[in-house]
Amino acid sequence: MEDILAKINSVAVQKFGAEYSETRAQKLYKTMLTLKEGRVEAAKQGIENGVAVRVLVKGAWGFASVGSIDANVLMTAVSSACKMAKNASSRLKTPIKLAETKIVEDRVQMKPKKKPSTILMEDKINTALEINKAVLGYDKRVKGCTIDYLDLTGTSYFSSSEGILIEQDKLYVWSRITSTAASKGVFTFSREEIGSTAGYEVFDTAPEAIGEKVAKRAIKQLGAKSPKGGRSQVVLGPNVVGVFVHEAFGHLAEADLALAGGILQNNFGKKIGSDLVTFYDDGTVDGAFGSFKYDDEGVPTQKTLLIKDGVVTGLMHNRETAQKFNAEPTGNARAENFRVEPIIRMRNTYMAPRDHSLEELTEGISSGYYFKSFRGGQANLDGTFQVGIQEGYEIVNGEIGAPVRNASISGSTLETLFKVDAVGKDFELWPGRCGKGQTAFICDGGPHIRVKEVIVGGSA
Amino acid sequence: MAVLEEDQMLSLAENAVKEALKKGAAEAEAYVYEGQATNVGIERGQITKTNTIIDRGLGVRVIVDKAVGFAYTNIIEGQKAIEDTITGALSAARASKPDQDWNGLPEKRPYVTAEKTYDPRILEFRSEGLVDIASSMLDAAVSVNKRVFPIEGGAGAAYLASSIANSNGVIGFDRGTIMECSLAAVAKEGNMVTPVCFEFNAGRACDVNPVWVGKEAVRLAVSALKTKRIKTITTNLILTQFALQELLHFTLMNAVKADNVQRNQSPLQGKLDEKIASENITIYDDGLMASGLRTWAFDGEGTPHQKTTLIEKGILRNFLYDNYAAKKEEKESTGNASRAGYLSTPSIEATNCHIMPGNKTSDQLMNEVDDGLIIYYLQGAHSSNPVSGEFSVVATPAWKIRNGKIAHATRGVMLAGNIFEVLKNVSAIADNERQIGPLVAPWILVENVRVIGK
Repeated sequence: MEDILAKINSVAVQKFGAEYSETRAQKLYKTMLTLKEGRVEAAKQGIENGVAVRVLVKGAWGFASVGSIDANVLMTAVSSACKMAKNASSRLKTPIKLAETKIVEDRVQMKPKKKPSTILMEDKINTALEINKAVLGYDKRVKGCTIDYLDLTGTSYFSSSEGILIEQDKLYVWSRITSTAASKGVFTFSREEIGSTAGYEVFDTAPEAIGEKVAKRAIKQLGAKSPKGGRSQVVLGPNVVGVFVHEAFGHLAEADLALAGGILQNNFGKKIGSDLVTFYDDGTVDGAFGSFKYDDEGVPTQKTLLIKDGVVTGLMHNRETAQKFNAEPTGNARAENFRVEPIIRMRNTYMAPRDHSLEELTEGISSGYYFKSFRGGQANLDGTFQVGIQEGYEIVNGEIGAPVRNASISGSTLETLFKVDAVGKDFELWPGRCGKGQTAFICDGGPHIRVKEVIVGGSA
Repeated sequence: MAVLEEDQMLSLAENAVKEALKKGAAEAEAYVYEGQATNVGIERGQITKTNTIIDRGLGVRVIVDKAVGFAYTNIIEGQKAIEDTITGALSAARASKPDQDWNGLPEKRPYVTAEKTYDPRILEFRSEGLVDIASSMLDAAVSVNKRVFPIEGGAGAAYLASSIANSNGVIGFDRGTIMECSLAAVAKEGNMVTPVCFEFNAGRACDVNPVWVGKEAVRLAVSALKTKRIKTITTNLILTQFALQELLHFTLMNAVKADNVQRNQSPLQGKLDEKIASENITIYDDGLMASGLRTWAFDGEGTPHQKTTLIEKGILRNFLYDNYAAKKEEKESTGNASRAGYLSTPSIEATNCHIMPGNKTSDQLMNEVDDGLIIYYLQGAHSSNPVSGEFSVVATPAWKIRNGKIAHATRGVMLAGNIFEVLKNVSAIADNERQIGPLVAPWILVENVRVIGK
């Protein structure tokens, strides 16, 4: 495999005049399940093998992907990638250049306690059935339970014309459990996800616990009321803080979006949040869903400090944006698979904890909300963020009270980060999936925090 | 581009079905997919990249003792890869549990040819042509206004084909083409930057209008400058197609899927032939609409596409079915089984969801609004409650309307409500329909929506 990839790169450089060439190959194997109310809709498995070639010719990118590792097919692919890049370069004003990176040769092996490929399909189904039983058995008002399961194993190869050569094991285990409840015309929905790069051992914790958690939330929401729309003081739980960090700051700290006019473009080194705000994007957390050793440009991953005590200290880079900012590449270039180009993506993005207990965060609030668990979120370049809430409560006179349903929070990043006025001492990291044209497996998290003011989107 | 021929794709599917039956499947279905696409990409004001993708594969669904197994591969050269896939599907089925409600794969039904979905010129189209399209889009954008920065976009041409065969004698092949160009832009003034403003043009023929896209993206971005905050109020909204697509996709479209209805997770359960929307709302799911972006001869299970009335003058008439959900009610599938190429088993999705236009021009619709908002895009629609239809989203960009005219851009406006209330409060519909993804719709005017401002 390595020989073919190296040969493709040398053809790109020597025959087609590319200034840079990289090839990525993947041999992936997936197992999937979908269960609806305990009915196995289908047990599924699949093979995805393919190669991507990316070249830089006269400062423009050319990319070709094929579902084949046949040498002739790859020769055609590299030829068309180079020709297309040359065409694209015809109108280029600012040619693309890449920042330097270390030339490494490495073989990265995963050592899971339980390899997903050695677990029988029957056992995976039985685990899902146990979760299903816990969901449906929780309360007779629980009407539906959908469980999706995925494991992905295999090998990826990276080779570049500069001499980088990396072979990396791939391992992801993921499951999403959703539950619906209905009573007296009220419909509710609840979701949890499991995601890990460690191994199938992530399912060693009792399946009943997660099933009950999902069902309990759906039932609690049946009695919830709509929150009042408008500005409010809020306490956010780690699960919501993670998505808040991801949407309100993380995307804006992706260097491609900063260059595209995002609000961090002119705020590097400036204070944009309170002293309590410290964020990281960290690809090194053991077993976390967003961790890996090398990114899809062959750059080692790292723990990147994005904001320290409210001051912007770092952005997430690929080699192209690092060159523009005169910075080091941070190992954030990720491609969902061989079909697509690597782009700047988050890894495990989180807020650093401080020193408050949850009680201390809520005690001074006469009227506000406690938002514990999220459902979706989205960022915009102008710094408007939105985070949907699947589990929230009123705070009245410092006490967490009645549940509220279907809220979301929004605000402007540059205003809201200054309004973070107390940060908890706890810490949780949650797996998730992020969409930016491609899907990336990520984590986000942090401690509980208190925010002086956000806009709550409620219909009351 | 060199593509697989019809007979190659058909025989691959037919042989996989035969082989699966021979190896012990009670029933079998094979789906073969090919997609080839070429794109030219714009980043930060210039054309910087090109890509080409060839993606082919085979997905095999087998049934053994009423248990369903599925396997796919993207390696379709050579008999071994095919046989391994079939063996994989069989072993998955054997490891799985029987489904007592399984009532068999679809039966053979005649196909109607999908109209205006294939343009052979797209197969011959080269990246030079796409560079020209992207360039004229960029030139049009930059010539309009210097405060605008085109951040992302491009032009692309794609060929898609699929074949299907099953053990009930279903056999089909269809192919189609898509060409599109798009541009996302922001406008900047001092320290202010607008939200992302996006425009695109897509169709099935080798023909797009990049100059219009470039100018329109810029027009939107410039008009999103100079925002003012508005008060929290219950008011009237004009929803343009982008906003409508986002909102409906995560709410109403879940509620009309028959499997959700059967599984007690749709508020529309038991409401057939009841009034669920304003009288001026009529919606079809039309998988055969000429030149529609989701128009094909058949769905992901080989069931013919058709035109299904979902809502007629406000009255709920039908749900969307695939084969499994239809057989559960002893009905016929409406041809709404959708697949992610060869990678997935079928699930229910809309084809072209067509909201019938009214007879007012967009100007006349604006003129009906004394005080309200016009909303282009929504942020966070995917966080809506997929079961109840409740939403809480940001409208960005959105503009204040006063006396039928746009008064100013707004900032940070949130909307909260329930889609079924929104549908009841639609008071007028314009005639300016266009297709955004699966939705073909005009602008609509909705009364009494809760808007959260400063």
